Amino acid sequence: MSDPVLTEETLQFGEGGRLSGILTRPGVPVRDPPELPVFVFFNAGLLHRVGPHRLYVHLARDLSRMGFSSLRVDLAGKGDSPPRPGLTNQQSAAADYDEILRVLESRLAPGPLVLAGLCSGADNAIRLAPKDSRVVGLVLLDPVCSPDDGFSARAFVSKYTNTARYVAWLKRRFEAPTTQPARNEGEIDPLTLRDAPTLEQLRSAFECIRERDGRVLSVFTLYALQYYNQAGQLGRVLGVDGYQQFCTELFWPQAEHTYTLDLHRRRLVEVIRTWAGGYLGDHVR
Amino acid sequence: MPSSGSTENLIAELEQLGITVWAQDGRLRYKAPQGSLTPELKRRLTDNKDRLVTLLSGYLVHEAFFFGAGNQRIFANYHPAAGGGGAVLTVICPPLFSDYIRTHLALRELAMALAERGQHVLRLDYRGTGDSFGDLSEVAISDWVEDITLAVREGREISGSSVVRLLGVRAGALLACKSAGASSDVQRLVLWDPVPDGASYLQVLRGIQEALCERNPYLSHGERRDAMHEYAGYTLSERMVEELRLLDRSAYSSVPKNTLHVVSTSSKTGFPVPGVPQDVAPFRCDWDTAAAELIVPRPVLERLIACLIQS
Repeated sequence: MSDPVLTEETLQFGEGGRLSGILTRPGVPVRDPPELPVFVFFNAGLLHRVGPHRLYVHLARDLSRMGFSSLRVDLAGKGDSPPRPGLTNQQSAAADYDEILRVLESRLAPGPLVLAGLCSGADNAIRLAPKDSRVVGLVLLDPVCSPDDGFSARAFVSKYTNTARYVAWLKRRFEAPTTQPARNEGEIDPLTLRDAPTLEQLRSAFECIRERDGRVLSVFTLYALQYYNQAGQLGRVLGVDGYQQFCTELFWPQAEHTYTLDLHRRRLVEVIRTWAGGYLGDHVR
Repeated sequence: MPSSGSTENLIAELEQLGITVWAQDGRLRYKAPQGSLTPELKRRLTDNKDRLVTLLSGYLVHEAFFFGAGNQRIFANYHPAAGGGGAVLTVICPPLFSDYIRTHLALRELAMALAERGQHVLRLDYRGTGDSFGDLSEVAISDWVEDITLAVREGREISGSSVVRLLGVRAGALLACKSAGASSDVQRLVLWDPVPDGASYLQVLRGIQEALCERNPYLSHGERRDAMHEYAGYTLSERMVEELRLLDRSAYSSVPKNTLHVVSTSSKTGFPVPGVPQDVAPFRCDWDTAAAELIVPRPVLERLIACLIQS
């Protein structure tokens, strides 16, 4: 016990204790545990289980104060978990997921799950959700999406009407030119490992969640501008029946991909808390 | 038992009671004199079954645990010395904020390399950072200095080591020296790119914050204004800022010179205390920018290992 309202346990599980994770549980369960889904946070690229700028730690602890348990885990090859030799990224994530289910079953009553992640974490959530009927929710931070019909026109207008871009351009013109130094050997972009799911896999994940009466929260940031530039675009691209009824889609171009600014992280945590509160409401009804 | 997290301590405790535990075909086995296995011990064996099996099978290369009191618990990873024994404990004092994220992978590799070479290693997350309890708004420098002291004590208890060495990275170097200056436990301090002092480090953080705001054309005026209260994307309490500002180079000079060794990535950066041996390892770390790349700087790690394993 370390906080009057939550407990955290370090887990080293799977074959040979290869996988590392932290299980967060409410100190005092607010209702019968099987009723509420357990959140599972997947690594954002190579960043370890605390998430970008500790985002997952804040989420896990805030959610536990609402009554939700969660596991933030280092998948094989990330953070404190060694890689699984000989497996592709997708095979490795699937094998890890089986171990995650086993360790959750050993610690908690079996119940529904919400899979959450940023970037490649969202990709893993999308690919794993259809395979497990326990998954009733997805929190997707900068998931994949395809441009829709209006994407190019909106990108054109946005490019030429954003005054801040002109200011930045002028500043660059009058500043001494700088050359971008070459990258060191031993320097790794933490988010380059993306093995994005196809549009079909994305659609399948959403359809499965709808069939399970679940819900999806998607948030797109500045990073997604290369393929996404309007709230509602994902819904249009997917064309999944009843999308509006079970999906929340937000577009925050002012936030960076890894929520570098604290004010954006706090806002995101609040949005996810509110979204998760929907599960409490379901049970109240 | 000093902490609930140490499986090694549980094994030692069982041994003292004449209880032998071992792993066989992935299952936990034990042999106990009649009456020695109390219900409480049985419960602890059950609770720690997975860890015991992995530790006893020789798979586990590190052990993660929390230590410390109540809602102030500190997260740590303990890497036992390969092959048992090991008289030296190295405690890794990580850097702060984005430096912490960027070096996490490198410091894990370093810890494993030291353990393979026969040292016990403890990596910690200061309170309000990483997996440790607390929030940045609730902690200050004095808490982090205390965390290092507690980590040294915990590491010594777990490992049984009598010789303690500290590795301090960036601002972690200041904290490590501040902690070591108040104790006689530390035999050697190795510092990787130590920041000169708290005030200049705060300036670096403000510079990074400005760069973050400048590169984002979509921030509203309100957000831009609010963001300028942050330091490199983190909100620090007034107490934290004040204590950082007061953390001057005397933290370095309070430590005997002959215990210090500096490894830097730039020959331009002089260490504030003259006469301290300094190695330069060629690697560009871009500490003063808003860079987000994880770094695993082999030349630096090699130098650090050499400094830390030297007898």
